[in-house]
Amino acid sequence: MTTRATVLFVDDDRDFLESKRLFLEARGYRVLTAESPDEALRLLETETPAIIFLDLMMEHVDDGFRLAYRIGKDERLGHIPLVMLSGVAAETGRRFDGEAGGLREWSRLARFLDKPVTGRQVLAVIEQLAATEPAAMRPAV
Amino acid sequence: MAEGSILIVDDEYGVRSGIRTILEMEGYEVGEAGDGAGALLALEERDYDVALLDYRLPDTDGLSLLQTMKQRGCDAMVCMITAYANIDTAIAATRQGVDFFLPKPFSPDDLQGVIETLLRHRRARADAERLRAEHEASLLALAEERTQTHSLVSSLRDAVMVVNRDGDAVLANPPMLELLGLGEDDVLMRPAQELLGGGALAPLCEQLATPARDRTVRQLELGEQTYMASIVTFRDEAGEARGRILTLSDISEVRRLAMEKQKFIRTMVHELKSPLGSIKSLLEVVLDRSLGDELEPYLPMIDRADHRIDTLVELIRDLLTLARSEQEPFGDEPELVPVAPVLDEVAELARERGAERRVTVSVDLDPDLPPALVRPDDLTLLLSNLVGNAVKYNREGGTVTVRGFVEDGWLRLEVSDTGIGIRKENLDRLWDEFFREKRPETRELEGNGLGLSIVKRLVERAGGRLEVASVEGEGSIFSVVLPA
Repeated sequence: MTTRATVLFVDDDRDFLESKRLFLEARGYRVLTAESPDEALRLLETETPAIIFLDLMMEHVDDGFRLAYRIGKDERLGHIPLVMLSGVAAETGRRFDGEAGGLREWSRLARFLDKPVTGRQVLAVIEQLAATEPAAMRPAV
Repeated sequence: MAEGSILIVDDEYGVRSGIRTILEMEGYEVGEAGDGAGALLALEERDYDVALLDYRLPDTDGLSLLQTMKQRGCDAMVCMITAYANIDTAIAATRQGVDFFLPKPFSPDDLQGVIETLLRHRRARADAERLRAEHEASLLALAEERTQTHSLVSSLRDAVMVVNRDGDAVLANPPMLELLGLGEDDVLMRPAQELLGGGALAPLCEQLATPARDRTVRQLELGEQTYMASIVTFRDEAGEARGRILTLSDISEVRRLAMEKQKFIRTMVHELKSPLGSIKSLLEVVLDRSLGDELEPYLPMIDRADHRIDTLVELIRDLLTLARSEQEPFGDEPELVPVAPVLDEVAELARERGAERRVTVSVDLDPDLPPALVRPDDLTLLLSNLVGNAVKYNREGGTVTVRGFVEDGWLRLEVSDTGIGIRKENLDRLWDEFFREKRPETRELEGNGLGLSIVKRLVERAGGRLEVASVEGEGSIFSVVLPA
């Protein structure tokens, strides 16, 4: 099977990471996982994934945003589409995608996904982004 | 017919009956007495409007009798009659409170004229007296009402200011004075606009001056506190606006509790949703057959899902315990519970759980330890929580020691461990619901952050307190202090 692209998941829930890895690997993706922003940054020193899914709330409530900001500023990584995963929108009634346009721009988020997020939803987002930003979806080295 | 009652006091029977005949024909009620003692007796029996007193009586004289009558509270009009009239007696009599002086002999017309005059005076006097009494009573009532209103308003916890039609403050209670930082004398009859203007209360000025409605309510922030301000117009019977009452109620605590509850619910939803999301993710892999048609490769995932369901069930159980620990359980009273058997059971369970990591659990109770006054289930629950934590957050090969002794009349149960300890900055937040220390050492340890919240409430429900001492990296001591 040819490897289609590398996808990185950053989330502090190991079961979530593992199931997304298995789901996407079955479809030919190479999946990297990180349980913390620090681990993600270490991975990104040598890896350039085609897309990054990151959880908003990890150790701190805004870990997701901080990580998104750091990746966005990075010359080599800045072009990678970021997808924020969060249960916050549903829990607080706050919507991040439409209203907080500034926030999205600031953190360069391509998408917001409300948790729980299924493998199928993840897959749909990857395919959408591949269609609109083909350059970003080039196979990993 | 004339109305009135007249007492005739004269020692001469002829004079008495003469006067009686004339007066009764006119329709007056008449009483009579032949001497001073008789007069006082008659006055004890009933009141008279007018007393006709002879100046010379067998046992006393008219003026002495008058004095005695006045002393006894007689308020009849008094007319002195005497055959020995001279100007000196007249003056003396008038000085002593005689209302009229009638020299003998007198004609029936003279008598009638005098009686009519005296009765008229008496009525006028009674009217004046009644008016005075009424006036006094209403003044008294007014004063009382004012005092009552004043003490009522003063005792209110809310800050109250009453403003008259001209917008001047006419009443401000102590909380309001404190809020304004002014004394009562600085406030009274000063324009409310001046008193409230400038600061955080300024928005109220306009509403006080020209309120759109008879009642306006708004929320405002004063420093750290949140106030609910209400302005109510009060009107007289004709519906005319007489002034306004401004009330400021401190609702900070209510708001804080409401926000805390909101936060609690948000966190709770998050804590319930995360494991559900993970279980769903794990099952999706199975349903998707991502790993092929064999069951074997899926077993670890199903195992994980099963475990996550266990933690969810545990979380729900803890949430229920937490909710229950906030109220006094019905029909479940504290009793004197011997600590040793409970602790033996708890320690045994903890040993089993610590065995793999070679954590030892020892119990050291004072042999004379009195029983604890607590609900038996609560004691088991709080000790198993504390001892369980001491094992869980311990290092490999560490120790847990439970001591029990009496100190200053309190029963102390101390659970100490040789574990990772607690960071100083987190000691205060330890009891917050869902709080967990996020440290590399705790990453692999599961927990929902409700255990210590439950323990604290159970201890407090038993009338005790929970204390903690800890050094990061060395260990912690949790002390349950219960009434002995």
